[in-house]
Amino acid sequence: MTRGTLIYIAQRLAIIVLTLLVVSFVVFVVVHALPGNAFISQRVHGRSLQLLLHEYGLDQPVLIQYWNFLKGAIHGDLGVSLYIRGEQVTPLVLRELSVSCELGGAALIVTIGVGMTFGVLAAIRQNTWVDYLLTSLAVVGYTVPSFVIAGLGIMIFANFLGSVTGGAIAYSPVWTGTYGTIGELWLPALSIGLYTSGQITRITRASMLEVIQQDYIRTARAKGLREWVVTLRHALRNALVPVISILGTTVVGILVGVLVIENIFGIPGLGKEFVESILQHDYNVTVGVFTIFALLIGLSNLAVDLIYTVVDPRIRY
Amino acid sequence: MTGSVNDPVLEVKGLSTSFFTDDGEVKAVRDVSFDLAAGETLGIVGESGCGKSVTALSILGLVARPGRVVAGEILFKGRDLLSIDREELRQIRGRDIAMIFQDPLSSLNPVHRIGAQIEEAMRAHDKIASREVRPRGLDLLRQVHVPDAARRVRDYPHQFSGGMRQRVMIAMGLSNRPEILIADEPTTALDVTVQAQILQLLRDLNRDLGTSIILITHNLGVVAGLCKRVIVMYAGEIVEEGSTEQIFDAPQHPYTWALLRSLPRVDADRHERLRSIEGLPPDLIAPPPGCKFNPRCPFRLERCFREDPELEPVGDGHVAACWVTMKRAHAEMGAGSLVDTGPGAASGVRPPIAPEAPDPSGADGQDVESETQDRG
Repeated sequence: MTRGTLIYIAQRLAIIVLTLLVVSFVVFVVVHALPGNAFISQRVHGRSLQLLLHEYGLDQPVLIQYWNFLKGAIHGDLGVSLYIRGEQVTPLVLRELSVSCELGGAALIVTIGVGMTFGVLAAIRQNTWVDYLLTSLAVVGYTVPSFVIAGLGIMIFANFLGSVTGGAIAYSPVWTGTYGTIGELWLPALSIGLYTSGQITRITRASMLEVIQQDYIRTARAKGLREWVVTLRHALRNALVPVISILGTTVVGILVGVLVIENIFGIPGLGKEFVESILQHDYNVTVGVFTIFALLIGLSNLAVDLIYTVVDPRIRY
Repeated sequence: MTGSVNDPVLEVKGLSTSFFTDDGEVKAVRDVSFDLAAGETLGIVGESGCGKSVTALSILGLVARPGRVVAGEILFKGRDLLSIDREELRQIRGRDIAMIFQDPLSSLNPVHRIGAQIEEAMRAHDKIASREVRPRGLDLLRQVHVPDAARRVRDYPHQFSGGMRQRVMIAMGLSNRPEILIADEPTTALDVTVQAQILQLLRDLNRDLGTSIILITHNLGVVAGLCKRVIVMYAGEIVEEGSTEQIFDAPQHPYTWALLRSLPRVDADRHERLRSIEGLPPDLIAPPPGCKFNPRCPFRLERCFREDPELEPVGDGHVAACWVTMKRAHAEMGAGSLVDTGPGAASGVRPPIAPEAPDPSGADGQDVESETQDRG
């Protein structure tokens, strides 16, 4: 890694920190401006409410509260939950982050695996039934919302085929958190990944079709390389550049998918917490979840930009 | 046909390649036949779009869709490259017959290192032992005079200059010690001094390794510097073939003659203008009847509009497809002192009036056509 690249990474990390400051501030101000108070859903009134607000420092001006939040956040302390009183937010969101990452990672594997395989196959079999079938599937993939696929999947596999699947994907209302098995993850991951893989299929196909017209592909064939070497080492490697450029937005798409799908399947990750913490007026958790989301997006975009330089040696920072 | 003593390594017989477009069948190469002897240097010349590159690509089965070889045989040591299976053809590509292309930047893969691209050409075949691949890659770069080769094998194509990239292409082409090297416009994208270096390199290879070379170019000067024998193509067909001396000193086809006259010469009068060939090559979807060169030929006869000439011997190992030939044009039409080289200028023959336009008033084609429509 060159010195220029290291400087570039440092700059990007600085920008990410700035972004986190802005995001956390805006979210902090907005959640505190929500009608009602932090304990409204807990039906606390009168004197005990005043005591609680004072205990959590919620009776101070918002800017002072944000300053106190920042002082803790610098040390990695995002405060305590106001709903499950006393629960530390940092370990909570980190645990939920690991759940979401597992789901999001599985969705990303589906996205890239299915998307690129379909895209490459459609391109090298252009204008044959293989191409038509795969591009049609891609269109279905990115026009049907993930919650529809999830709903259909639950209906088919948990209800109609319940006797076959043994209820493996019939999630209990609150998932016990024994996440980690493919058996439990594949349907949620597919629900998110089919949508995003449709986009990847289209980009990969278009990019491959352009690349296989290039002179260097003819050179590769003239050298007597095997056809799969020509396709993968010479064509796909070049076709990856535009695919990677949309991977940044794809990651955001997957995070949005995680948000929806976790709530449908009851998976205790960041996405589910995102919705619940807002409904419960659990200010500190909401701010924590938002900040983690912003961090994820920032880091994944940085990762995408660094992958660029690996795929295309002409790109240097 | 060509008086070569050696057995040919490559025989192309009746090759025809067409592109099937929405507008119709573009007959890019028609009934092309030639031999290449071991160790021979053969030049194929002609204007852009005359079918020389397509001929070369057809030999290696690299014609891209919608193009397809529609007829002919390509015999490499007696095996027909058009009828063997894909795997056999793959093994011949790069190992026995290598090809280098016109634009060395777009012909090298931008995302792979130079060294890797040369090495994979050897690894694709079993001719070079795998432990020799790496040192040989380096040797090849030194052979083609890439300075500081040991360091530069790790560079990418965009870090090389145009001439250096073409050297890399040549090194890649030679990596498996092929018997035939097809060079498609190898010097076109390069400046003149680099051109000369690349040609010298090809000449050395032919002399030292005995590699047969097919050089495809529109540049007659390049051919004169490297080739023993020359094929001239026009509109997808061979119009003349002979030794380099025969072609340059006594061209027999008016097209070859005109091509040579269009070359700038250092010994020409200062005020002499360059003579271009008037008109454009014919539409290959619907070429003119008779000789394809008749719309541009100053020496055309009535016969040229009716009958397509075949290649006929005009000298020892020299053939041309022309009803007139320059021998007659010089003797009867004063070709040597011709100033106006417009179509039919020397012979005075004008295109016959088409039978479906019987208008004697000499109105031009468009009027005739609209009148015909009126009647219809």
